[in-house]
Amino acid sequence: MNTKYLAKSSLLAAVYVVLTIVLGDFSYGPVQFRIAEALVLLPLVEPSAIMGVTVGCIIANIFGGYGPIDIFGGSAVTLLAAYLTSKMPNKILGAIPPIALNGLIVSIWVSKFSGLPYLLVAANIALGEFFAAGVLGILLVSVYSKYIKTSR
Amino acid sequence: MLKDITIGQYIPGDTPVHNLDPRVKIVITFTFIAALFLVNKFFGYLFIIGFMAMAVYFSKIPVKQLFKGLKPLIIIILLTVALNIFMTEGEVIYTIWKLKVTKEGLIQAGFMALRLIFLITGASLLTLTTSPISLTDGIEKLLNPLKKVGVPAHELAMMMTIALRFIPTLLEETDKIMKAQMARGADFETGNIISRAKAMVPLLVPLFISAFRRADELALAMEARCYRGGENRTRMKQLMIERRDYVAIIITVIFMAAVLWSRYAVI
Repeated sequence: MNTKYLAKSSLLAAVYVVLTIVLGDFSYGPVQFRIAEALVLLPLVEPSAIMGVTVGCIIANIFGGYGPIDIFGGSAVTLLAAYLTSKMPNKILGAIPPIALNGLIVSIWVSKFSGLPYLLVAANIALGEFFAAGVLGILLVSVYSKYIKTSR
Repeated sequence: MLKDITIGQYIPGDTPVHNLDPRVKIVITFTFIAALFLVNKFFGYLFIIGFMAMAVYFSKIPVKQLFKGLKPLIIIILLTVALNIFMTEGEVIYTIWKLKVTKEGLIQAGFMALRLIFLITGASLLTLTTSPISLTDGIEKLLNPLKKVGVPAHELAMMMTIALRFIPTLLEETDKIMKAQMARGADFETGNIISRAKAMVPLLVPLFISAFRRADELALAMEARCYRGGENRTRMKQLMIERRDYVAIIITVIFMAAVLWSRYAVI
């Protein structure tokens, strides 16, 4: 891991947290719609975003205050999703890991804690993830390769 | 606009709970969560309440602050209670239209609600009494044994520290960009989900470009100062397990034993 990668990941993590804070009325808890999750598609075009979103997720979850399970578990799921996304051939397929993994795995402990039916929680989280990662994320990746990459 | 946003929950203080080693606090919180799942009788909650009360008393965190974290979850808690009351089979005590209220359902609902409330308040006590920086140190140290299997514990902690340092800077930057774009007629607050997502683009592009520029400068500055990772790095504040940490560990062990006793003892 070289210094450049480390610095880029750190700043991307900061962007993730800032977006979670600024736009975050519904960023935490069982009914999640975290706009910052759009960043989980960035590993498609920017490798340092894998660690970036993971670290961002850890910090956002520390601020969130739902405790160690969210901090360690939620971030591990994000890491896995970001890694799988980076291996996907295109944007549409890239949106599948975050939607599926967050929907299927995060809902395990959320439904366990709340006693709500697993499928209900899973559908809910997957839907939020679909709008954030699916809609906004794909938009972000197209914009990224078009403007941001060329500006540097 | 964004000036009055509070980041995180941490309330600084100089109490025995604040001063515990972050590693110890993280492990105790995990133990507490495990205990919540081991409790299977109502009187087992007496130990949970006792343990929580002690932690809250020593941390001097206002109880009001603790329950603030529950606010966004009220709907979920009510939904949980309702579903459990009506969906559990058993001895019917009351019927509303087609919905049957059972004795078992009431017990189950009370149980779930208590578990959820203690889970959230217990977890927020950790973040209320521990600053993000010391949590980062704690996480790094806890992940240290995993270094052998390739987990980059030091780099992870370094990234967290840098990110924490840049969050206020980028918040200010975001505020500036939003105002600049609004002056040009940008609209972040109306429209359906697609048009709102599109409205984010004029905010995200400058934000990313500025973040990457800062990253380049930072990498250059770090390299100029010969940063080369975790080996042989020293730190200003060493984490050390002290007497109060041992006391906290002993109390937690006693608490866990009591919870296990309440679960398996025949009363």
